[in-house]
Amino acid sequence: MTTQEAPPITQSAPHKRRLKAPGNRSFSKPARYVMLAALVLFSGFPLYWMLNTALSEDSELYGQAQGWWPHWERLADFGDLIGSVPIFKWLTNSVVIAGGTTLLSLIFAVLAGYALSRFKFYGKGAAGFLLFATQMLPEALLVVPIYALFASLGLLNGMGGLILANVAFTMPVSVWIIKGAIDAIPYEIEEAAAVDGCPRVTILSLVLTPLILPSIAAAAVINFFDGWNEFLLAKTFIAERDLWPASVGLASFIGQYLTSLNSVMAAALLFTLPALIFFLLVQRRIVSGLTAGSVKG
Amino acid sequence: MAKLSLRNVSKRFGDTQVIHDFSAEVDNGEFLVLLGASGSGKSTLLRIIAGLTDASAGDVIFDNLRVNRQSPRERDIAFVFQSYALYPHLTVRENIAFPLALDKFKGWHHIPGVSTIARRVFGSSKDIVKQVASVSSMLELDEYANRKPGGLSGGQRQRVALARALIRNPSMFLLDEPLSNLDAKLRAELRGEIVRLHRLTGKTFVYVTHDQVEAMTMATQIVILHNGIVQQHATPQEIYARPANTYVARFIGSPPMNLMTADVTDGQPALGGLRFPAPEQLRLGNGTVTLGLRPEHLTVSADVDVPGLAGTVRRIEDLGADTLIGVQPDPALGLNMWELNQDDLLWIRQTGQTRLMAGDPCTVSPEARMASYFDSDTGLNLVSAGKDSDAGMLPTRG
Repeated sequence: MTTQEAPPITQSAPHKRRLKAPGNRSFSKPARYVMLAALVLFSGFPLYWMLNTALSEDSELYGQAQGWWPHWERLADFGDLIGSVPIFKWLTNSVVIAGGTTLLSLIFAVLAGYALSRFKFYGKGAAGFLLFATQMLPEALLVVPIYALFASLGLLNGMGGLILANVAFTMPVSVWIIKGAIDAIPYEIEEAAAVDGCPRVTILSLVLTPLILPSIAAAAVINFFDGWNEFLLAKTFIAERDLWPASVGLASFIGQYLTSLNSVMAAALLFTLPALIFFLLVQRRIVSGLTAGSVKG
Repeated sequence: MAKLSLRNVSKRFGDTQVIHDFSAEVDNGEFLVLLGASGSGKSTLLRIIAGLTDASAGDVIFDNLRVNRQSPRERDIAFVFQSYALYPHLTVRENIAFPLALDKFKGWHHIPGVSTIARRVFGSSKDIVKQVASVSSMLELDEYANRKPGGLSGGQRQRVALARALIRNPSMFLLDEPLSNLDAKLRAELRGEIVRLHRLTGKTFVYVTHDQVEAMTMATQIVILHNGIVQQHATPQEIYARPANTYVARFIGSPPMNLMTADVTDGQPALGGLRFPAPEQLRLGNGTVTLGLRPEHLTVSADVDVPGLAGTVRRIEDLGADTLIGVQPDPALGLNMWELNQDDLLWIRQTGQTRLMAGDPCTVSPEARMASYFDSDTGLNLVSAGKDSDAGMLPTRG
């Protein structure tokens, strides 16, 4: 026996120390909070500045430096803005378009994703690739052909046609998200349901859909925001002012000679809120979906 | 209540033939075990019975009714999966109630959205709740009724799967390696449970496993499959005592039957100079025969002067109640060990402990009348073949 230095006595057992993720050890707790606060500030500031601009005087915006604090007393002027343009009509249109796009896209995506995941058929690889290929073409390239097509089908100047066009652009991504989710569900569960007396449609609605709900929520967010933010198709297809979605309505504030910055920002704020609310509603599901995979089904 | 008949069932996936011309009759109330190594086609056969896979040819008959075209539901079977296949989003109670709730569905209840509500409404109806409660208590699942499968152990999950199968009161229970994912202790426990359910329901059970212990302890009949071909279809006792061929002899028993090539002169087999009394049914001329002896039909002694096969102890495995002794026969005997024997050793099972040590010289004495005889070319059992059990076919090569 040689004189060997005893290992230092530590507070925690060695196996526990090893379990700690390396990321947890590299920053102290206060440092982590500072970094998170910086990130929140970074992403939240534009929203705040939107509010601040909306509540600033014209003179501030074009003349002297804009103040750091919003003039809350100007909140009353929001009413004027709302009265001058049909902003709520536009927002309602946007909700209909984004909601319709989401619903239709998800229905197609669940059916197509299921088929791509579970069935063997001729041209399956090609079908999957073509879905991806649609994403390679820029929207602007397809506006004119779709316009011509919709003109002959009488689908212009209506929200139905716009939803249809939006779905064509948003669905492929959803299909792949949902196909991936279904791939991860063991096939035995479907067979068990078949033995228990489910026809395929009921397997899909009673068993599979609840299991892939987190992925559906994720796809819903993508679809909803695509539909909500879509501008090019809406601007091209819809001429009637009352049928505009808010994205087009918002753009109409920008005049050739004069743009009322504070009105644009006020409208933009109203435009942001519904989307924010939608995200908060589904966000919890998405987060739970990220951990759901760790539980063996 | 159903009697199951399979007539010339075969299955091929592309160019691979998975099941060759399988025929069997299973009476109502039997516990049939399909036993085989992985890839033997046993699970495929079960899935064909269930209607989850179509047979390429042949008939699946339930009580004189050909059911090949019927869905699993129409066949009125229950299926228990190796992976449990519970519905992860439903509670234990809802999982068990699921098949009963679906029984009440009419056509329009299957419309998406409606089906979700219908399942809840029917699932909480009085009669179903009552049945679920009685089945749960039978399988000791009451306290977990409101948990989801994710919060249960493997054994509890498989109990839920059994409950879900049981509650339907199906005509037949099909179980696909239900215990393979469980640890040894739980496996023994659930084995007893399944046997109890079989007695209780009196229904036909078809059970797939690769575990010979499960097969021997639970079955009333065993079918041993190898490469999609039936090797033997008989009772567990028959299979153990009179394996139809060398494959079955090696497959059943742990350690398996010792197989050696014995020389035959004038109808008298001899092994390393030791003569064996040939059974009456056996008509041998001159040549060779494959002779099989179970480890428990051999005794070993340290005394080298007694009549028997001389050898050297190589391995000792103390199992507690039993001891397994691996003996290398004396090369001077010219004993031709069967090529498949583990480590070329003769294995002997002895109750209790042994004083022998590895390296000791010893003598192995066989209980000669317990020997089995197989044709050295075809591998078929020369005594039992064509008698009261189905003649086994030799495993095909390739």
